[in-house]
Amino acid sequence: MASASRRDQILAAMIRVVGRKGYRETSVADVIEEADTSRTTFYKHFEDKHECFLASYDMLIERVFAEVVDKCDGAEPWLERVEKGLETIVQLFAVEPELARTAMVEVAAAGADARQRHWSAVERFTRYLDHGRELSDGAELPANISKLSAGAVSGLIFDELQAGRAEQLPELLPDLVFAMLVPYIGPSAAAEEMRRTAKAT
Amino acid sequence: MILRSQRERLLDAAVRVGATKGYGAMTLTDLTREASVSRTTFYELFKGKEDCFLAAYDRATEALLRRVTAAFDAGDSWPRRARAGLAALLEALAEDPDMARMALVDFGAAGPTAQRRHRATLQRLTPLFDEGRDYAPGGRSLPANTSRMAIGAVAGLIGDALIEERAGDLPNLLSDVLFATLVPYIGPAAAAREVRETSR
Repeated sequence: MASASRRDQILAAMIRVVGRKGYRETSVADVIEEADTSRTTFYKHFEDKHECFLASYDMLIERVFAEVVDKCDGAEPWLERVEKGLETIVQLFAVEPELARTAMVEVAAAGADARQRHWSAVERFTRYLDHGRELSDGAELPANISKLSAGAVSGLIFDELQAGRAEQLPELLPDLVFAMLVPYIGPSAAAEEMRRTAKAT
Repeated sequence: MILRSQRERLLDAAVRVGATKGYGAMTLTDLTREASVSRTTFYELFKGKEDCFLAAYDRATEALLRRVTAAFDAGDSWPRRARAGLAALLEALAEDPDMARMALVDFGAAGPTAQRRHRATLQRLTPLFDEGRDYAPGGRSLPANTSRMAIGAVAGLIGDALIEERAGDLPNLLSDVLFATLVPYIGPAAAAREVRETSR
């Protein structure tokens, strides 16, 4: 038990250090120091920095996903779930910019397997939020429409984080809502939701 | 002149080695060996590995942008121009999967400078997308970020195929990336109709 929580501490330290220093510049020594643990303990749990990073990334995704699910009970109308889900994510990212950078930006530096994880996570979120087909008046939507929303939303978030504006992410919420909804319901209905979100926040 | 061809060989090497080994694992020795260039020559041309990678990235993306813009300029209506531009993009990427991976996936591994440059490159595509503002009824009142959304959606679809090593299939994505480009401006029903009509 003590050992399991020690492992979690190392994973949490990895997420913070990578967000702060960047994946490439992060060393095992940095993580050990941040987690206040020993080299021996680190290597008892992980083969190397990369393995530890992948485990920490999995933990991060589970945490973000759990927060989203927690805020949405699944019974709310789709539009509301999209807004709540995106709001949860931008607020978490604004409060923990290091986590946000690790989740969205630094993951790209951690190799092909990390990027794969990132992309599956983004898709998992969009699929969770994506019940738009039911609302789309039977237009013939592409099979991979949720990937399309995923790309639009994550592109906007990536740009903000890249520019060091994690704290301002909540201001982007109306645009994210538009980006997520527009492939399903078109620009005028999506703009209406965008304005509603802007008023509510 | 010789120095110039050595430079080109090093850029080719950065693309090839980057695609097979990944940017992180790529060493200077890999580059000089692959390009048959001495270390001294390397340092006459580049400050280091990152500098060389960025030059290779710039060369690849300039060529891509030229092809896309030329194809786009040849079309008549905006949906047709968009279709032509995107078709040229997908073909170019499918022809050279190593370059495609570097330009759209691996740049992220090369650090913040490469990532910033990548965003800047994508933004140069904005005018191609934002013609949708004039084309669409009510296009002027769309969010300022609309082109960034469309570009993100297109880059996401292409990046996804590249991560799964399906570069050869990229031209088959044309309908989907065209839909992604049109939809924020004209909505799903009109986008689906334009995808159908412009394919004739």
